[in-house]
Amino acid sequence: MKTLLVIAAMLLLAACTNTVVQEDRRGTTGIESDESVVVLGRRHLMEYETDTDFVACVGGQIARGSDGIPVVPEQEFIDSMFPWFEPRTAPLHASDLGRLMTEEEVAARIREFGIRYIIWVDGRTETTDSGGALSCTIAPGGGGCFGFGTWEDDAEFEAHVWDVDALADVGFIKTDATGQSYMPALVVPIPLLARVEANACNRLGTQLKEFVRGG
Amino acid sequence: MQPINHSPRLLAAPLLAGLLTACGTSSVVVQGSYPAPNINPLPLRVAVHYDDALRGHRYTEFNERGREEFTVASGQSHIRLFNAVLPAMFAEVVQVGAVEEAAALEVDAVFAPAIDEFQLGLPSKTMLGVYEVWVQYNMRLLTPEGELIADWLARAYGKTPQQNFRSSEASIEQAAIVALRDLASTFALRFEQVPEVRDWLAERQ
Repeated sequence: MKTLLVIAAMLLLAACTNTVVQEDRRGTTGIESDESVVVLGRRHLMEYETDTDFVACVGGQIARGSDGIPVVPEQEFIDSMFPWFEPRTAPLHASDLGRLMTEEEVAARIREFGIRYIIWVDGRTETTDSGGALSCTIAPGGGGCFGFGTWEDDAEFEAHVWDVDALADVGFIKTDATGQSYMPALVVPIPLLARVEANACNRLGTQLKEFVRGG
Repeated sequence: MQPINHSPRLLAAPLLAGLLTACGTSSVVVQGSYPAPNINPLPLRVAVHYDDALRGHRYTEFNERGREEFTVASGQSHIRLFNAVLPAMFAEVVQVGAVEEAAALEVDAVFAPAIDEFQLGLPSKTMLGVYEVWVQYNMRLLTPEGELIADWLARAYGKTPQQNFRSSEASIEQAAIVALRDLASTFALRFEQVPEVRDWLAERQ
């Protein structure tokens, strides 16, 4: 029993996440109390699309706390800007923003929301490696699992910050979080999950808030 | 304590029910509501005609054994979409039951959309982890007398990732809604760039 506890404790400690955050600033930033930001996910590629839950998580992190910045919800913004921010029509480069702002309706809506920065989040979480063997059996007298499974998740996201006033890309923040999860099973499976995406969201959101606040 | 006796009949009933469910066709009715586009309307009075094929459009996806797997009813959702988009694109829009009715209404043109092709991509077949919907439309702009002004193809694509705890039906509906929004956005923004439409608009100025 003691051995099992020691193994479980070791795995618990091991199921952690390693997160690397890189920042590249290309312009000065700052935000007034009556201004807001919107966090949008990139969804124009066939291979993947940025998860809406991750985008909402980053937005929540930016809005959280006494130093939080007002964040316009993604779907509310996309619906009210329709059809300019759909996957195939959204501007891909900050240089396209100037042309978009010449559309009276677009400029008026952005002013109504008080949006100073548009933050584009692009990326995904992938399971990069997996191993082990785990089998479960169900019989009339009961059931159970036995074995050990492990996998590695990699969450790689990049956020570009566009200044709506300057019509420019003022920088980007890249986060890469990796973590090993384990699933030992001795009758009952015990998932020891690395919170890879949650960590990527927390670090990216916190860093974006500092980035937007100024420098 | 008495042991529990599992009657084979009692066990067989839910098993059979499950098997029957698995063999049936799943129906998807695309609901969805669509926002009106933020664009400057063209100074045109346009009649729109939705034919019966569009109104009642239903696509059937067959499995490898040729049995019906999914039916996707999107006709009414298409009507809702065009009813949201067209009034934002043109100064005035009237709906007609037949193209011939337009001549008496003093409209500038008649718009008649039709679905040419509808395709479904299921993760179980594509192994891509996403549900996909492709739609090809045949868009026609006619004079009030029924002569062709422009006839062009428009394509729409929508996808939604496969998710735990979300049914295939819900995912297919979501992918269809994304495809319909894709149609609306590209149609609204590129209508004036269709060569025949551009020429016709230039002639009117």
